[in-house]
Amino acid sequence: MRFVSSFRYGPAILVGRAVRTLARWRKPGGGSAIPGVVVNRIAPGFLAATLNGFPLGLVIVTGSSGKSTTTKMLVAILRAHGLSVFTNQSTANISQGLTSALLEQVSLAGTIAGDVAVLEMDEGHGALIAGSLTPRVVALTNVMVDQIDRFHDSEMVVALLAKIAARATESVVLNADDRYLADLGNALEPGVAVSRYGVTGEVLAEHPRGLGYADTAPTRLPAGAGLQLTRVVGRDADVQFATGSHSIRLPARGIHYAVDALTALSTAGATLGERFVPTVACAALSAMPAVFGRGEVVTVGGKTIEFVLVQNPSSFQLNVDSLEPGTEQILVIIGSDVRDPSYFWPVHTTGLGHVLIASGLKAHEIALQLAYDDVVVDRIEPDVPTALDAFLSLPNPVSGVKTIIFSADGMRRTRVHLGLVSNSEDPV
Amino acid sequence: MTATSLDRPFTVVSLLPRLLDTNGDAGNARVLAQRIRWNGHDARVVEVHSRADLPEHVDAVSVGSGTDAALLPARDALRTLVEELRVWSNSGVPILAIGTGWELLSWGIDRADGTALEGLGLVAGHAVPRAARATDDIIVASKYGRLVGFENHARDYVGAEASPLGRVIYGTGNSDAPANGPQIEGLTMGEVFCTHLHGPVLARNPALADHLLQAAFKRSGLRYSRGARSELVDETARAARNQVAARLGQSVE
Repeated sequence: MRFVSSFRYGPAILVGRAVRTLARWRKPGGGSAIPGVVVNRIAPGFLAATLNGFPLGLVIVTGSSGKSTTTKMLVAILRAHGLSVFTNQSTANISQGLTSALLEQVSLAGTIAGDVAVLEMDEGHGALIAGSLTPRVVALTNVMVDQIDRFHDSEMVVALLAKIAARATESVVLNADDRYLADLGNALEPGVAVSRYGVTGEVLAEHPRGLGYADTAPTRLPAGAGLQLTRVVGRDADVQFATGSHSIRLPARGIHYAVDALTALSTAGATLGERFVPTVACAALSAMPAVFGRGEVVTVGGKTIEFVLVQNPSSFQLNVDSLEPGTEQILVIIGSDVRDPSYFWPVHTTGLGHVLIASGLKAHEIALQLAYDDVVVDRIEPDVPTALDAFLSLPNPVSGVKTIIFSADGMRRTRVHLGLVSNSEDPV
Repeated sequence: MTATSLDRPFTVVSLLPRLLDTNGDAGNARVLAQRIRWNGHDARVVEVHSRADLPEHVDAVSVGSGTDAALLPARDALRTLVEELRVWSNSGVPILAIGTGWELLSWGIDRADGTALEGLGLVAGHAVPRAARATDDIIVASKYGRLVGFENHARDYVGAEASPLGRVIYGTGNSDAPANGPQIEGLTMGEVFCTHLHGPVLARNPALADHLLQAAFKRSGLRYSRGARSELVDETARAARNQVAARLGQSVE
């Protein structure tokens, strides 16, 4: 099928590649969304035609939180089963970023070597391009009160996710502990299989603040109705499959990583069908390199720094709750992307204990919240480079690693100042 | 003889924080309790989800804002507490109500689909749909100083003209600027304060918080004064307010 329209997008692909070269030449390591902008303008059908053309189809991972981790885990599991996987490695979750990512690998005939495509999609942009896509499997992680400037409430987020889920041709994988997703699953058209996963009542009871969902389903998934998370202790977790229980080693501590793993395992099962082998999947998951926070540890000037990106109140809360106890050097950078300073107030930050510096455009706002949560803040320094220099000049901590908690804007400024490769989804 | 302390902790009630805390509005109860502690008194926040949670003594009340999906369950839960709310508001217990929490205390809410939801009828006026959602910073001139906050609402409020919280300097408030008369924000009735300024309005505007605390202390025959820790934290709040004011072309404090 794909070969019928061979070379239809050839000229656009060539233009996109030329633009990519120019963008990299102008700004090393950055600007890689631009080629996508150009190609989407001159060949609007390119993205959908290419994504829909993989032999084992397209798998979309979407939801409020946990998309990136789940996608990485799912890719590792599929590769362990011998599949060649195309994925958006960066968090390029807008269509320009996706197109740019495809340009890296596409042939002039518009095809990409690979068995299956696994894509992480932002719910807003995903819903926008979903109409042209025919994913075989759609995985839904959760609904959290998220990005209130764009999505005013949970109902709106659910409507976007439902739009993406409705495109699934074979199965929808969803978190049965999330009341909104459970309802969404019950309302799906017949003919599409629904794979549910969830935690047991015991696991939920060990997390008195809940799992961060906008609304937690009143009942747990019954045994045998889908994958179950039966135990989480530190980085170790147990998963109950239909065929028996298996242990996994998570890449980081925290219940959200365990649930991400559950989502990935469940989605791999739906994607691979008969070919899915739980022992292979669990071994692949456990072999993933350890990560901290949101999944990034960098070394600058011989000092190890853990980056923790907080994208919404729920991820902020989960990250505070799973911070390594005794972390003594914390820098918090909240930038202009947090338009409404109220945004993070539902988070109980008391667990941070002591913050060395509050920084970013919203430095005073976050310092105010920390003060009311009894967190000691030594210094408020809105200028990010000044704060970073002061933070990095301190000797390595006796306990824990230097930890920077930042919003997306804080992350961008930090990367620029430290000379780290900028995120490829950054528009320019 | 004037008392110097209570023989019990000051009790701040946070009403329905599971349903009405979209923007961290329930944090205002935390702000009041902390400021009481920083004043040297014992304080606690009691989350009230149903009548069973009601404490014996109530010194201040905070009601936050929720999503529209939570309107009906929140209204029904508040209805079971209507007698207490009436007693509190009539006896000078300070009450802060934000966004939909405020709308539910009013005569009612007209929804965009033409249906209406009856409120508790505790404060005058009602909520009506707006053409477009109002989402932005908001600055209000009030008796309690210049208030800086953030608003995000899909409805206007009519009927608060007789006793608004203040006059809008920047933003929307109860409605867009009327043809005649001032553009107003919020509603006050005795010690009941209703506003669209969501989230930690009391942390960012401690003068309003301290007014509520003075009212609460007075009911117990005590005097409230700002603690040393509050003064430090209020400097951070002032810097945060000034940052918004400067960005919007307003003078700084």
